[in-house]
Amino acid sequence: MTLIVGGAYQNKRAFAMERFGLVPEDFCDCQVSEPDCSKRVLCHLEQYVLRCVREGRDEAALLDEPSLGGKILIFDDISCGVVPLDAETRAWRERSGRLAAALAQRADEVWRVFFGFGERLK
Amino acid sequence: MNVFLAGGSKSGKSMLAQRIARAMQPGRPHYYLATMIPHDAEDDARIARHRAERAGWGFETVECGVNILAALEKADPQGVFLLDSVTALLSNEMFRADGTMDEDAGARLARELTEFAEKTGNCVFVCDNLFADAGAYGDWTERYRQALGEIGAALCRVCEAAGEVCCGVPVWHKGGWAE
Repeated sequence: MTLIVGGAYQNKRAFAMERFGLVPEDFCDCQVSEPDCSKRVLCHLEQYVLRCVREGRDEAALLDEPSLGGKILIFDDISCGVVPLDAETRAWRERSGRLAAALAQRADEVWRVFFGFGERLK
Repeated sequence: MNVFLAGGSKSGKSMLAQRIARAMQPGRPHYYLATMIPHDAEDDARIARHRAERAGWGFETVECGVNILAALEKADPQGVFLLDSVTALLSNEMFRADGTMDEDAGARLARELTEFAEKTGNCVFVCDNLFADAGAYGDWTERYRQALGEIGAALCRVCEAAGEVCCGVPVWHKGGWAE
């Protein structure tokens, strides 16, 4: 499994396409749908976490997905601002961070993207 | 050489950019492209502090709050330019004085800055890294962040060196520059 993280608008998707030879059909955009594990790439996983926070679900269920091993997972890094005043945003930030860390532990490769340039962390 | 530097607030990116720009092309004129349009006494004080910090560094200040290519009419294009910051320039271009937003500002500025880099060949671009937090800022600020991301990516394409600054120390993602 490969994990790709980085700030918003850092061209993570373009980096993933070039590095791993992907086409648009490989992507499931979790901004607009639940993680679809028939796809090779799940992107905007932080938005899946936000839905889990709002709907009282456990995002860690993703860790039990049997096909996770071959996936490329993409997260927006939302960790760097001031602690949010609003409880929902606070929970979102914490739970996104925890899920990303749990995934990074299992990942074969972890990449961090800066304006389209990938830096391999693991 | 064109250089792109991004970093958080007080990451030392401006000081590093000044050091890089000063060392480039000795003998040619060096220009500081001042992007801040002052609105109050606090802004005036900040500008005075920045000017004092640059004093003795050999930069000639060129006011350039909007329309970056016009700076080339006031300066020698063969010179060295320090543009601090892309963030302020986008804000000036995108959010108009009458309270409306110019939705094309991001794409236009990405083109203009690319052209600026190609025409001068020796420019250091400074950009704020405001892409990694969970704040919900509303639609205008989100579009501003997206536009800044697009401009940063365009500059990373055209610049020979691109890096992230932490405590004044660069982490180079493309090319590099050694002091």
